[in-house]
Amino acid sequence: MICAGIDAGSRTIKVVLIDTESKRIIAKDIIDQGIEQSTLALELFENTLSKSGLKKQDVSFVVATGYGRNAIDFADTTITEITCHGVGVHHLVPDAMTIIDIGGQDSKLLRLDENGKVRDFVMNDRCAAGTGRFLEIVAQRLNVELDSIGKMAAKSKSPSPISSMCVVFAETEITGLLACGASRDDIAAGVQASIATRIAGMAGRRVMAPIVFTGGVALVPEMDNALKSALGHEITISPDPQTTGAFGAAILAARKLNGEHK
Amino acid sequence: MNIEPKQISLEKWDEQYNKLRKAGLYEPSYGGRLSRHVEDGDMRLLKLKYDNSAAALRLWNFLLTEEDRLKNARDNCKKLIGTMKDLGTIPVMAYSFENTIAFYPDGAWWIPCVMELNAGLLEIADSLGIDESFCPVRAMLGAFATEAHFPIPDFLICSVGATCDDFSAIAQRLNGMGHPIFWWEMPHRRNPKSYEDKVILPGGFAAPKCQLEFVKSELERIKVALSEISGQEMNDEKLSAGIIKANQVRKYLSELRYLAFTAELCPLPALEMLIAEMLAIHFCSDIDETIEVLKDLLDEVKTRIKNNTGFFDRDAVKIFWVNPVADLQVMNLLEDCGGRICGTEYLFSHALDEIPENIPPLDALAQMALADPMAGSTIDRASRICNDIIKYGSEAVLISRIPGASHCALEGEIIGQVIRENFDIPVVEIEVPPITDAMKPTVRTRLEALVETVKARPQNKIHKRRTE
Repeated sequence: MICAGIDAGSRTIKVVLIDTESKRIIAKDIIDQGIEQSTLALELFENTLSKSGLKKQDVSFVVATGYGRNAIDFADTTITEITCHGVGVHHLVPDAMTIIDIGGQDSKLLRLDENGKVRDFVMNDRCAAGTGRFLEIVAQRLNVELDSIGKMAAKSKSPSPISSMCVVFAETEITGLLACGASRDDIAAGVQASIATRIAGMAGRRVMAPIVFTGGVALVPEMDNALKSALGHEITISPDPQTTGAFGAAILAARKLNGEHK
Repeated sequence: MNIEPKQISLEKWDEQYNKLRKAGLYEPSYGGRLSRHVEDGDMRLLKLKYDNSAAALRLWNFLLTEEDRLKNARDNCKKLIGTMKDLGTIPVMAYSFENTIAFYPDGAWWIPCVMELNAGLLEIADSLGIDESFCPVRAMLGAFATEAHFPIPDFLICSVGATCDDFSAIAQRLNGMGHPIFWWEMPHRRNPKSYEDKVILPGGFAAPKCQLEFVKSELERIKVALSEISGQEMNDEKLSAGIIKANQVRKYLSELRYLAFTAELCPLPALEMLIAEMLAIHFCSDIDETIEVLKDLLDEVKTRIKNNTGFFDRDAVKIFWVNPVADLQVMNLLEDCGGRICGTEYLFSHALDEIPENIPPLDALAQMALADPMAGSTIDRASRICNDIIKYGSEAVLISRIPGASHCALEGEIIGQVIRENFDIPVVEIEVPPITDAMKPTVRTRLEALVETVKARPQNKIHKRRTE
């Protein structure tokens, strides 16, 4: 039997199909998010099935997660991304005690217990500072592709100090730094450090290693090192971090199907 | 009339009202359809879900007609005493006089929510230099400026010192706007030194006797001031009678809280419990009627428990809620997400404790004032929360921050830390502005995730103290 997890995030929609018994990933895919969330998710789901030679009726249970989970009307149930990331990471990195998930619109930190269950969590609820949106804005301001930010940061010798409190003010700060002749590499590194500082502030004293990094921002080069500096712990990037939430949702779908407790 | 407990919309309440009337509903002078309050601009009421009982209708109507009561009191030559910042003690003194009505202007902090920002009170506060970096209680300045939400009190009393930085600044601005305030000082409650005489306060905290004497001297000053404004002498007999009446409110609330938080099926939704608990600090400008309203609610809750009826699933997650919410709708949202309230700490837990009746009344009131959770350390507050978590069997704690409120920003992390050190239960913080509509999906995610987190954990670990 096959189960599916769909993670409707603020920037992208992700789908993961797994074999219910082995929990092995059969197929996965990602598309950009849009206004017609439900339609986009359905298209992604059907295309992913089609590429794998499968049909909708081959999927026994679908769990939707993420910011837009309630718009996915073909899902059998919805579960929050907090639970899904917890389950996904625990399956992939069983000894993880802390998860940092930085997505396009929010960031969160989850503490797990020794059994991989979520103990509690904290989410960014103030500003896009500390999220992928900050990187996007900076990439636009520096006139580079988002993918380049990490590579530029790697070349920095002296990261520029940037406020971690407000993205709008940070953008103004970047204008000032450029006017003062700061290099784009140093600004890119400064922005990464700013996001990491924000996450560290949000984490407070509740960080326990091993720490696993998930979400789309985990794909940005050097972001893990910025977090390592801010938190003082090694950071492990989750395998395919962008689909970890969808993978967790698929595992939960399998558990629901088998009547297991979460 | 036997009514199955259900949460209903305001629209449905009109139908329910007709049914109740046909069945012989007792209506106090402030009774009537709940929907009529929307005509006054209370638009948020359209988006809330309500308990469908006659007792709940009475509670809501009582709350939403306070302005009428204040106007009537003024017409009847009673003096209106605005008791600010103090949560629950000075009103007891004010009600001990025959011709004074205590009023709680701080309650204006809910007007931006109830009127969905249409009253423009926060904008007025902005223009007075008290912007969004302050607690939403700054709406009170707008209410004073417009004189559209309550009659301006004849006398204003406000505590300062170890109270609330935001409120002190806001009240000083009010004073500067031409509303003279009688200030009294609340010291920071501290643990007694070994060589000091100490007193154990209601609620269990200890304080040096010299602090109690100081607070008592401040209350003496207030007593004299109230005597002057009312034109009546105050004596111990009258104060004791006022304390006995306030204790009646507190006894009912204490029983209501215990039953509502520990019943297998939730007998009263979170929103109605919140409104009921708030009566402990302001009595909605009529202490006698407060007693009747609470008695009705308590009877309803007892009946529901006896009949094994109530709200939500039996496995609804038991949430302990810290701090009051600026947007009332969030209380409904918690229940939509699979939670129920089992324990609260809305910053005035001392006003729920009975005032000692076996000591001189001013000593008793001084003890109550000094027992205020906001007057002591955050650790004290957290410790009381921990005791209540055990008492009510709470499975998770939700700390709700109020944007701009300095107490919330400073205390949330510490309270969370103390709870985590003592219990193996999840603690989550959320921020609730006066209107959450735009943030509803993100608030919902946090609440749903909290419920999922509790349900995913082994049941036998939920209440276990780590230190045991």
